[in-house]
Amino acid sequence: MSAFWLSYLPLAIILSSLLPGLVIFTLKEHQAKLRISLNLIGVTVKLVLVLIMLRAVNAGAIFYFSVPFLPGADLVLQGDALSLLFVTLSSVLWLATTIYAIGYLENSPLRSRFFGYFSLCVSATVGLALSGNLVSFLLFYELLTLATFPLVVHRGTPQSLAAGRRYLSYTLAGGVLLLTGVALMHSLVQSPQFTPGGYISAVVAEHAGLLQLAFGLMIAGLGVKAALLPLHGWLPQAMVAPAPVSALLHAVAVVKAGAFGIIRLVYDVFGADSMQLLQLAEPLMLLAAATILYGSWRALAQQDIKRRLAYSTISQVSYITAGVAMLGPLAAVGGLVHLVHQGVMKITLFFCAGNYAETLGVHTIRQLNGAGRRMPLTSVAFTLGALGMIGIPPTAGFISKWYLGLGAVATGNKLMLLVFVFSGLLNAAYFLPIVYRLWFLPPAGSWPHEQRLSAKFETHWMLLLPVLFTALLIVLMGLFASTIISPLSWAELIVEREFRYD
Amino acid sequence: MAELSHPLLLFLVTAATLVAIGVYGFICGPEPLRRVVALNIISAGVFMLMVVLAYRSNGPGAAYFTADPVLHALVLTGLVVAVSATAFALALLARLGQATAPLPTEQETEQETEQETEQETGQ
Amino acid sequence: MIILLLVLPLLTALLMLLWPRIAPLLTLLSAAICSMLALQLLLQISEQGSRSWLLAGWPSGLAISWQADTLSCLLILLSALLQLLVGLYAFATRVRDKLKQGFWPLSSLLQLSLTALWLSRDLFNLYVCLELLALVAVALVSLSGRIAIKAALNYLLLSLFGSLCYLLGVVLLYGVYGVLDIAGLASQWQTSWLSNSALLLMSLGLMLKAALWPLHGWLPAAHAAAPAPVSALLSALVVKGPLFILSLLWLQLASTEQAQAMALLFAAAGLAALLFGGWSALRTPYAKKMVAYSTVAQLGYATLALGLMLKFNQPLIFAALWLFVLAHALAKAACFLAIGEMSATLGGKRLTILKGASQTMPLAMFAFAVAGGSLIGLPPSGGFLAKWALLQGIWLQGQSLFWPLALLLATLLSAAYVFRVVVLAFDRADPVAPDFSPQLLPQWLALLPALAVWAMALFSEPLLLLLRLEA
Repeated sequence: MSAFWLSYLPLAIILSSLLPGLVIFTLKEHQAKLRISLNLIGVTVKLVLVLIMLRAVNAGAIFYFSVPFLPGADLVLQGDALSLLFVTLSSVLWLATTIYAIGYLENSPLRSRFFGYFSLCVSATVGLALSGNLVSFLLFYELLTLATFPLVVHRGTPQSLAAGRRYLSYTLAGGVLLLTGVALMHSLVQSPQFTPGGYISAVVAEHAGLLQLAFGLMIAGLGVKAALLPLHGWLPQAMVAPAPVSALLHAVAVVKAGAFGIIRLVYDVFGADSMQLLQLAEPLMLLAAATILYGSWRALAQQDIKRRLAYSTISQVSYITAGVAMLGPLAAVGGLVHLVHQGVMKITLFFCAGNYAETLGVHTIRQLNGAGRRMPLTSVAFTLGALGMIGIPPTAGFISKWYLGLGAVATGNKLMLLVFVFSGLLNAAYFLPIVYRLWFLPPAGSWPHEQRLSAKFETHWMLLLPVLFTALLIVLMGLFASTIISPLSWAELIVEREFRYD
Repeated sequence: MAELSHPLLLFLVTAATLVAIGVYGFICGPEPLRRVVALNIISAGVFMLMVVLAYRSNGPGAAYFTADPVLHALVLTGLVVAVSATAFALALLARLGQATAPLPTEQETEQETEQETEQETGQ
Repeated sequence: MIILLLVLPLLTALLMLLWPRIAPLLTLLSAAICSMLALQLLLQISEQGSRSWLLAGWPSGLAISWQADTLSCLLILLSALLQLLVGLYAFATRVRDKLKQGFWPLSSLLQLSLTALWLSRDLFNLYVCLELLALVAVALVSLSGRIAIKAALNYLLLSLFGSLCYLLGVVLLYGVYGVLDIAGLASQWQTSWLSNSALLLMSLGLMLKAALWPLHGWLPAAHAAAPAPVSALLSALVVKGPLFILSLLWLQLASTEQAQAMALLFAAAGLAALLFGGWSALRTPYAKKMVAYSTVAQLGYATLALGLMLKFNQPLIFAALWLFVLAHALAKAACFLAIGEMSATLGGKRLTILKGASQTMPLAMFAFAVAGGSLIGLPPSGGFLAKWALLQGIWLQGQSLFWPLALLLATLLSAAYVFRVVVLAFDRADPVAPDFSPQLLPQWLALLPALAVWAMALFSEPLLLLLRLEA
């Protein structure tokens, strides 16, 4: 392929989900076949394009595509190693979620609207991953808010509307804070492209106070989506949305967008050296530690499956922030790879929760007794996800926690090591009872609302296939972590480029 | 700026008084008609001020009674605008009277007849 | 060409009185031609720099003086385009909404008075344009029939009072300096109690007419009572006329001390408008009133920008002021058309009729949401562009945290009232009649300006450049 066409590759990756999404809006409700094929074509094209880009970036290429926008801040799409980590994650999980959503929403009303916004949401996420400077990032960050809102309120029930209102008030406030911070940064150093090692070192001495202010504003803005401690309130409530949407919020798009933004901000805008000079890393790390413990602690008390998973997300996503904030290469590898691993594990858990709810009508943990016998495949997947979250080998979760632990030791953060250990214990305390109930307790008579969705399988095959796929990924990513195609080696590649260590 | 001579000062004070009366009437009067009249009084005051200033603008030494023609032209324009605006306001008032007609209370009908007579005399 | 821009609407308005039957056609035709002329003028002016005219060959001082700079050309273009769009909407819905025949000549006259206003650079001529504008606007409001008469009358009286205040100021200035054109006045301007009081009187009148806080009381009733196309024109264009004169007065005439003295007052009034207007928009139960209160709030941005411009004298803030005006005009036109369309189709004035509108009338609701995005200032819309320019201007100026925080609060308020509607629209729809089939064309027409305001972002660099040069 010629260089000219390659420069359009980032744009093409965004358009591959945006265009089908726009077409889907115009479709009538009964044109299900056309809608599904449009969706799947979009996913396939996106995956192929991402693959092409992955190979090129692995060989050392970087993609740029820019359109003039504001003075001093073009709209830049940039395909580098870090952005591809997130793009690949969301594209692969989008495939799984699309199939799941098709099965989940079969025969429910307003599917055109749902899938339209679904595609927009993924386009915004991918755009956010590919954005090459703060202004473009801000743009996609806001678009993501707008595209996810209709999904959160999709059911139109009073609870989901309340959740939608809460979601909007949090995320829009966050967006405004981010805007203020980005505008401040722009007035200090303009908005150049993200560069490994940051681009503010020239003005650190001169504008230390303002840079700290800008960092605080932007972290507050990003922290809303990443569910950092005082700003996490929307996430548990938003779980009233349909299961595919929860999966999207927790694993593919929203929460990850916040965490990804923090990674970009710390490494590619401020840079490790300036972070240290400005004394910003320590508070961020402590905040992340507090969130990790708080999330795990609250998860213990939840009786609703999806609520427990939501609090677990709050805790687990902060592992990423913590890994990034420790500013050491090993910790960074742990944080980056946890971005991928947590996504895959959490999406598996949410798919399983959705399957229990759809097939058996089960919503609370008490009702899960003996579900392992009725739905063995789903329960195996759930168990794998839960073990991964706790960090038991050979699952993917073990790899990321191992590197995070190593990183804590290497940077001399005894406190963080303690936090990781304690949180791991809490994770075990709230996940293992569920696993125990699944397999070892007898079912309590009939299920609350059982549906026979398939003659052959335990549930509809479209609900089962994505679960098995992601569960398989959990194990594979753990077992083959040392091979060159694993997320771990990609994270190492990123860190190598970021820290420029030999 | 020349010093003001006495007769002009008198005119000036009258103009200011007119404006003040009009503003008072406009702010205090809740009735639309009263406000229309008040507006007309203000505009009379403003036009008077314009006429007075036209005499003064020629400056010292010049022939005293040749007034500034620009201001006269402006007064004429202003008068046209003011008259048409007043006519429009009165037409709206009449419509308002019609609109409230289906539920006539004593007071309102009184008002309406008052308005109508006012309009006629205005023309 | 410049004469044609004025004569054409006037001629069409007169012709319509002769042939009322083809009135819509004539209006649309003249608006289309004017748009093209305005575009050509804009291109020409941005290439060759601003031009002035003295009408009918009179010497300066006596003649009516006109000046076309890029800002006025942009505003002329905006007025003509919105006129065309709203005309199309009115044409598409005229039968259903029982729009009175009077709309067509009046809208042509509105365009005439606006174009004249953007071009005029002498105080008395501006007064005449202002008065004409107000009379036409009131007449348009009163087209709604009896429900609007009271609001129209109130609007007219306050507007006349504002005009008289302005005229009194003009007279005082003429008494002191003996000239009326702004360039001439600026060259011999002195700070004295006379010029102070003249400026204050004129500002009072203009603020009343532009519905700047705290003199905005008449606006919500008048804009909410008017027919939808009229509200769109009023909110988008008419209130901007006095604002334009206000900015001319303070930025070109007033001396530095006067500007500094008023700067904080304007900024505070703007802020108060943002907060109180936003709050009222959040509380009102009526759909069109909400949009009207949002106009009050959004005008607050412009006032705030004017105040900060006076204080800091920073070209970026000037650009922000006019970007707010442009973005608001487009967004508000879309809002009013969308809301008007929805309340005409779904029947009712209250906000609650919009329940489930995302299912029953997705296109109109989308138009409202998109326009609302620009009102909030979400990237990459015109509203965002303006806010970005304002923030940049403030950050460049100093370390004060107060103004960014105030802007932040205002943004959240506007987000609250926009999403109040959007959330309602995503509620479950009540079942509709089987023969429920909303018209599509008007909905698309409502969407058009909303998309245009987001497209403004694509032209952000040339726009910012043009407006900054103007400062």
